Amino acid sequence: MKSSLKNMVIALFVITAVSALLVALVNDVTKGAIELSQQQTKDAAKYKVLGVTSEEAVVLSDTTRLIGDFAITVSTVANRADNTIVGYAVEAPSITKSGYADRITLMVGFKEQDGEAVVNLVEVLSQKETPGLGANMTKSGNSLERSVVGKSASQLKFSVSKEGGSFDALTGSTISSRAYANAVETAYAGYLWAIGGLDTSDEALEAAPTGASMPYENVTSEPEAQKGEQDNE
Amino acid sequence: MSKLQIITKGILKDNPTFVLILGMCPTLGVTSSAINGMGMGVATMAVLIMSNIVISLIKSLIPDKVRIPAFIVVIASFVTIIEMLMQAYLPSLYSALGVFIPLIVVNCIILGRAEAFASKNGVVDSALDGIGIGLGFTLSLTVIGAVREILGAGSIFGFTFADGVMPLLFILAPGGFLVLGYLMVLFNKVAKR
Repeated sequence: MKSSLKNMVIALFVITAVSALLVALVNDVTKGAIELSQQQTKDAAKYKVLGVTSEEAVVLSDTTRLIGDFAITVSTVANRADNTIVGYAVEAPSITKSGYADRITLMVGFKEQDGEAVVNLVEVLSQKETPGLGANMTKSGNSLERSVVGKSASQLKFSVSKEGGSFDALTGSTISSRAYANAVETAYAGYLWAIGGLDTSDEALEAAPTGASMPYENVTSEPEAQKGEQDNE
Repeated sequence: MSKLQIITKGILKDNPTFVLILGMCPTLGVTSSAINGMGMGVATMAVLIMSNIVISLIKSLIPDKVRIPAFIVVIASFVTIIEMLMQAYLPSLYSALGVFIPLIVVNCIILGRAEAFASKNGVVDSALDGIGIGLGFTLSLTVIGAVREILGAGSIFGFTFADGVMPLLFILAPGGFLVLGYLMVLFNKVAKR
């Protein structure tokens, strides 16, 4: 079609208006369903990280603590049969260390054994790491998961092994692995807070090792990535 | 051009990856394993077929000088709608392909075919062109991903056959360039015969 100012303006206006309308409409229709499916994924993860099914166990309570803009949710899961506590499923983001692309969020299951909090299983709720590298953290039995599962959380050192920590980094993905370790640390702090092992006053949390007072460190600059290390991720 | 030719030329003569050299960014970015390459290819093919159909339907209503912004708006809205629908009603498919969807908006293959083919041809031919180019893209990405996965991780489609230390380089970005380059040479040498 031959272009004139009039038909160009009209065509662009109509196309953008129709597109915006359609996108808004679909957003409206799907918003509820998306939230529902995300909630279902989260709920399923709560049971999964504690090794129970939703038939066997029930979530007694969900408590959320905000640190800056970050939410840590601790869910207490109990047996349906006798109401004894199975363990705690903690949803926590990586706070001081971002992954290669974005923060990662984990669901970590803690069970109490002999007065120690033992990591039962870890499930990655959200990550945007590179497929084939950092994204391997979602595979079951990866080196990060193996580093924590069955370990007592108080014995863990929350950094990668080449920095003296307990986490065996994913191959070629040191930055993603640091974020993972940080998210597990955040989850452990959330667990301690939930069971009352951590001073819950704001001052104490500010000073907590999760870096509550400096939540935006590493968001825009990643000093680790600029040292010229070989880490790709 | 026969209908069959429209499809086959997308795989061989006009292969988007090895001949037209379009969509290099997603090609290098996601082909760290065969299944990722395939996922990206399939998602792109779905969008490409639909966008080609829509563009060929509305081509006579769009003034020439604003066709590119018009196409981009149509494609971007389209991809956004697909992403939302998939996330809402097919969450398992979304968790497999979801990471690729936003990348498709900026894939120049989609815009390239809208401009070079769908804006000049009818609906059926445009849909077939989408299938052909989409298949070509899927096959190319799967092959690149498979080669990188075999060499770099010692596995294929997730099945490990060689444990131990493999040259990780092939999974990393430089390996992507190397494999793409050599496959391009190979493809064009074979295709020219």
